[in-house]
Amino acid sequence: MIPLTFANAGEKITIKKIKGKDEVRRFLGNLGFVEGGEIIIVSDNGGNLIVNVKNTRVAISREMANKIIVE
Amino acid sequence: MSIKIALAGNPNSGKTTLFNALTGSNQFVGNWPGVTVEKKEGKIKGHSSKDDEVILVDLPGIYSLSPYTLEEVVSRNFLLDEKPNAIINIIDGSNLERNLYLTTQLVELGIPVIVAVNMMDIVRKNGDKLDTQKLSKELGCEVTEISALKSEGINDLIEKAIRVAKSGKKMVAQHSFEGSVEHALAHIEEAVLHDMPESEQRFLAIKLFERDDKVIERLNLDSRIISHIEADIKNCEDELDDDSESIITSERYAYIASIIGSCYTKRNKGKLTVTDKIDKVVTNRWLALPIFAIVMIIVYYVSVSTVGTWATDWANDGLFGDGWHLFGIGSSQYDDAVSEYAENEVFLPEVKTALEGANEAGITGADELLAAAEDKDFGAFEEAYGSYGEELAVKENGKYDITPMLPIDEEGEFSDTPDPADYGVWVPGIPVLVENGLVAVNCADWLQGLILDGIVGGVGAVLGFVPQMIVLFIFLAFLEACGYMARIAFIMDRIFRKFGLSGKSFIPMLIGSGCGVPGVMASRTIENERDRRMTIMTTTFIPCGAKLPIIALISAALFNGTWWVAPSAYFLGIAAIIVSGIMLKKTKMFAGDPAPFVMELPAYHMPTVGNILRSMWERASSFIKRAGTIILLSSIIIWAGSCFGIVDGIFTFSADMELEDSILGIVGNAICWIFSPLGFGNIKATIATIMGLVAKEEVVGVFGVLDFEGMTSLAGYAFLAFNLLCAPCFAAIGAIRREMNNPKWTAFAIAYQCVFAYAVSLMIYQIGSIFTGGLNIIGLIAAIIVAAFIIYMLVKPYKAADKLTLKTKAKA
Repeated sequence: MIPLTFANAGEKITIKKIKGKDEVRRFLGNLGFVEGGEIIIVSDNGGNLIVNVKNTRVAISREMANKIIVE
Repeated sequence: MSIKIALAGNPNSGKTTLFNALTGSNQFVGNWPGVTVEKKEGKIKGHSSKDDEVILVDLPGIYSLSPYTLEEVVSRNFLLDEKPNAIINIIDGSNLERNLYLTTQLVELGIPVIVAVNMMDIVRKNGDKLDTQKLSKELGCEVTEISALKSEGINDLIEKAIRVAKSGKKMVAQHSFEGSVEHALAHIEEAVLHDMPESEQRFLAIKLFERDDKVIERLNLDSRIISHIEADIKNCEDELDDDSESIITSERYAYIASIIGSCYTKRNKGKLTVTDKIDKVVTNRWLALPIFAIVMIIVYYVSVSTVGTWATDWANDGLFGDGWHLFGIGSSQYDDAVSEYAENEVFLPEVKTALEGANEAGITGADELLAAAEDKDFGAFEEAYGSYGEELAVKENGKYDITPMLPIDEEGEFSDTPDPADYGVWVPGIPVLVENGLVAVNCADWLQGLILDGIVGGVGAVLGFVPQMIVLFIFLAFLEACGYMARIAFIMDRIFRKFGLSGKSFIPMLIGSGCGVPGVMASRTIENERDRRMTIMTTTFIPCGAKLPIIALISAALFNGTWWVAPSAYFLGIAAIIVSGIMLKKTKMFAGDPAPFVMELPAYHMPTVGNILRSMWERASSFIKRAGTIILLSSIIIWAGSCFGIVDGIFTFSADMELEDSILGIVGNAICWIFSPLGFGNIKATIATIMGLVAKEEVVGVFGVLDFEGMTSLAGYAFLAFNLLCAPCFAAIGAIRREMNNPKWTAFAIAYQCVFAYAVSLMIYQIGSIFTGGLNIIGLIAAIIVAAFIIYMLVKPYKAADKLTLKTKAKA
């Protein structure tokens, strides 16, 4: 169980938990970040990530990535 | 009967492209999420007759119906309040899973839905397969394949949509949630919604289950009922060990996963796409910023310095000047003729000797004349002679007077110069044509003055910059349409965050470099209200297209076109944003970290030429329209103000009115003291600044109508700084007012911009005066106090944001 920021780029990872305030979780959920879902990190720009989720690319900042706990 | 059909879908799924294809409209399509920030309406081509209209409403892109951003609120309110006859849900076929998430919510509204799977050409090219019939059966609504870009399947779609809309059959969602959720929903429906139309109950029940504030507010429930259903929600949450909203989100995705397997087969699972490969390079942590810098330098270098300047020179000197050679035919022969004329008549040995002597005697301008003669540059020589010829004739008892040696006529002009019209294909400029026309019809002098100096001169000075803006607009449209713009926001986020703005603030600023109005409007994609307000306040600090002419004018007139003036204007704008960002963040109003950055990045694609030209035209035409209306009017006012005046106590008209006696001069004189601490307390600069509030192009217009008056370079730069940073033009102020949607905030934004501009300009002039002489102690002290205050604000620690966060939450 590690935050998404520590995961390796290019590997398929599974979301275990999403922390944070309701608003943040709701928005992440709408974009396809749900517990149990699979994601891939495409690019890492100093902790800011581009993530492939449900076949779309979503850019998230480091603060957001830290709230996503993956396996 | 008129039919209303709404077009809904995820951001960047092609709604606007479809809207254009269906209505024949010309909305710009950008390749970044959130291009459409307002809903737009249009009549469908070929299906609308007088009493049988089909109206299509293009809604902003949304990910869901639980409002998180302004766009989602706009879309949701429209669907709930106006109840369109049908919804076309456009979904991106290359990205089905996430797009269907919104679909699962739209089908709950009870409004008939028809799903249009877009970008099927890309899906097929990837070798993926979609079984639309099966998907249609699973969703319980029509599903049809289209390619909005290539206009495939569009007619079929619209016919089906009209049929569905006319049938009036209510949509019934096919999916159901987990048992305990359904149980809670049934309870809610029974307790609260039983007297509502059946088709609307499901959506509202789910929203109540999610504790959606806005829906609770809408239904006007009393607290007893709320606490009653709250017990049901709590039970369900305890049972599934999650909060109600997450339960619904997960359930929706689980449902999509369950149907998608049987409808959709993907060929290259998990492989990197081209977009991913490009992103690996352009968003790389080391390469991202250098690549971005190179792109920006190319864009501004080309549009400001090379192509833009050629085009602008042609427009100013040719179209709105004497004239030009069509396609350059005859230009070189004309140039040869001029060189020959200059060689034989002007650059004579005795002229050079006289100039050398004058130069040694230190007479002003002799060096310039000499340099032009040595370079054999007749144009420069003619100009320098116009400025300094008289000086030369008077100084040292006329010892170095070159006038008798030159072919100069009584009016002080070079005579018998080659006429460009004699060579090649010569097209006379508009002012020449107009003047000839007016002379031919024996027009009255004052009317000739009004038309030539007032209207053609003023409007022409502004229109002359259109080519330059067109070049810039083409570049910006390309960046938007290919998908790079969204990456810029991502790259800049890391930097912008350091001074309290989000990377999303960068897009408004970049668009603002074209025009402030769409720039301010683009701020709508920023979810956080604080960040959005701050972006609106600072976006117009970036020099917009209309400010380019001011920069060009000052740089040419006072700095001899030195290379650093134009870039420094952009740096000044960026510095103003950074400094303002840090300072404002320290005030109570803006305290708190910017909202975390989340943004969908579209796939890269090559934009179509039509789309880019459409965007360019949309922006350029609004600029030209303003030239025809507000600028035309103010040009006439300036002209009238400068020709009517009071001479010896009598109100008179004269085409050669001294500025001091004219109405304009009297008004300017009365208020120019405001600007004297900034170094440009003269009448003309004051009038130009005031007219700049009408439209920034007017600043140049004023100097176009009234001749340029001597200013020191330092005062010129202070003038430039003030005009770049102060309140924008009326159009942009209007945009700020609309986006702030609050008179107090609008007033604050405008006041802040003006005060900040005054402070910066004051510092530039007063502190700069130490080095250029003309130091004023009081002014310097004032400037130092201002500088000290700004530095204090910059280094002061950040305020804790706890109070404000609570307040915004309560409001949301």
